[in-house]
Amino acid sequence: MSATVQDLAAPVPAEAEVAPPRRPGTFARLMREPVAAIAFVLTMVIIVSAVLAPWLAPTDFFHNDLAQAMAVPGTEGLPLGADAQGRDMVTRLLYGMRMTLMMAVAAVALGGVLGAMVGFAAAFYRRADAALMRVMDVMLSFPAILFGLALAAIFGPGLLAVVLATAVATVPLMARIVRGAALGVMAQDYIEAARSTGMSDARIIWRHVAPNCLSSIFVFTTLRFGQVILLGSALSFLGLGAQPPTAELGAMASEGRNFLFFAPHIAIIPSLAIFAIVLVFNLLGDALRDALDPKLRV
Amino acid sequence: MNETPLLEAVDVAKHYPVKKGLIIARKVGAVRAVDGVSFALKRGETLALVGESGCGKSTTARLVMRLIEPSSGKIIFKGEDVTEVGGAKLRALRRNLQIVFQDPYASLNPRLTVADAIAEPMAVHGIGDAASRRERVQELLRLTGLRPFHANRYPHEFSGGQRQRIGIARALAVEPEVVVCDEPVSALDVSIQAQVVNLLGDLQQRLGLSYLFIAHDLAVVKHVADRVAVMYLGRIVEVAPKHELFSNPRHPYTRALLAAIPRPDPSRRGSVRPLGGDLPSPLAVPPGCRFHTRCPVAQPKCKELDPPLREIAPGHTAACHFAEDLPRFNAEAGEGVAPVAARRLAAYAAARAARAKPVVMA
Repeated sequence: MSATVQDLAAPVPAEAEVAPPRRPGTFARLMREPVAAIAFVLTMVIIVSAVLAPWLAPTDFFHNDLAQAMAVPGTEGLPLGADAQGRDMVTRLLYGMRMTLMMAVAAVALGGVLGAMVGFAAAFYRRADAALMRVMDVMLSFPAILFGLALAAIFGPGLLAVVLATAVATVPLMARIVRGAALGVMAQDYIEAARSTGMSDARIIWRHVAPNCLSSIFVFTTLRFGQVILLGSALSFLGLGAQPPTAELGAMASEGRNFLFFAPHIAIIPSLAIFAIVLVFNLLGDALRDALDPKLRV
Repeated sequence: MNETPLLEAVDVAKHYPVKKGLIIARKVGAVRAVDGVSFALKRGETLALVGESGCGKSTTARLVMRLIEPSSGKIIFKGEDVTEVGGAKLRALRRNLQIVFQDPYASLNPRLTVADAIAEPMAVHGIGDAASRRERVQELLRLTGLRPFHANRYPHEFSGGQRQRIGIARALAVEPEVVVCDEPVSALDVSIQAQVVNLLGDLQQRLGLSYLFIAHDLAVVKHVADRVAVMYLGRIVEVAPKHELFSNPRHPYTRALLAAIPRPDPSRRGSVRPLGGDLPSPLAVPPGCRFHTRCPVAQPKCKELDPPLREIAPGHTAACHFAEDLPRFNAEAGEGVAPVAARRLAAYAAARAARAKPVVMA
């Protein structure tokens, strides 16, 4: 026993006063992971080529040459071939990515922000919880396709209907996920500490609840991004979405379906593009979630 | 002696209704988590609130901080009733009442750096500009025995004791007058406990803080407290100055608590009779004295009459019909604080004094 007492009484050796070097920032840690670095570069390539489509495209958007209809990839001057109307697939692909990305980003952003707000409100104001979540359940019970049909009937078929339908379909999913994550965070002592300093509810949500729900939000957003592209493609496929001659990857794939036996590349190329975009965004989302988590900082 | 207390609770209660029924909820009972607690905290003193788990200590702390709303009773701060204030007045109250939590791992937001966490309360109350807040963070880090470069780190990079220091620094950032310590050392290793307890003592001396100190470790309480209030099942059963309470407890529950302190002394085996039974459910509080179900000296009267908290000596109140009739408390038989625990704290204090320069400077 006396040994213990003496240990405690021993003077504490002075710690080094030198501060350790600064840890790498979020971006540096993101680029250190090979998969993340590749995903980041590919995402940038996709976004830049979508944004610069009018300048990058080898031909004018409306240019077609029926003599080249259904030309296979590798034909002279047409590296990805041409579609049924003889339009260059490279041009179609660039414009299609542009439209698809815009649609998916708009839908996920709109639906995600609204859903997150509902989710935080439900977790934070427990009185409103039941009412809000029942409304979300009602929304959840409508298939997105049905929403799309209704909206197409109101606004006429087009990308606006697709964006609104997929955004509305995203709201209840996001709300559920955010509510669950936020409830877990709300039970932590640091929320009580925040309350005891007298800060506003909005500040507590923004500074203390939301950042700690970030990993769930990130995972869901990147997952949903892929789903929204597919959903938008499905709506376009049904003729509710992008109308010809608008190039949209889903619509292009559905057009190509008619020629699947004669010119499979017309359907396969946009499908592969959808696949690549969804995969790359998911990889980047996962990596970004890890890079943003201070606990995983080494 | 007659100065107004800094913080006062008058008959504060928190009852949680228990509801049944799917569509029309009927109230079928109430969990009486805190059931009429009164105490007064004087400026510069440490009032310890002790009791077994589930007796309502933490609920009481949150009630006086207005983190939960009391069902009845009054909370008085500096002579002013603050039970129902809101808005700007509540914010002002929040500035004067801060809390240090039990679990240093749950009480810090993992996404905020230490500097952000400590500076935030200041920002909320509009104290200083960004630069002066940064300076104050450094000052608080020094004050709590942390290093300046710790400011840019995240909570997970610290040990439990260091995190508790961060929690203390955050509580002190807005210069509160009262700090509620909700079992601030219960989650810490024994050697770290001593450091944090002594840090709290240093800060009290330097800054003139008043502590409402919630604990169940009586050795720690004996070290830090000026007065001790013992809680049982949502009520305070005895309040007395520390030495009085430890040497002459006048409530059978207090005696049982003191006797239950473990002591590594094999010769004492069998000489301590622990209380039988469990804490009764706060859903069904026993009639009469709420301790009579477990009390070794219970009489028929105790089952019918609820004893009020009454003064049996100056500054010493107890809620027992037979407070004066209890036999002398035998501290010799080891019914005081374990000598080992006391020595542990004393040794640390001595070591601190022996180190030529003070540990921390303001």
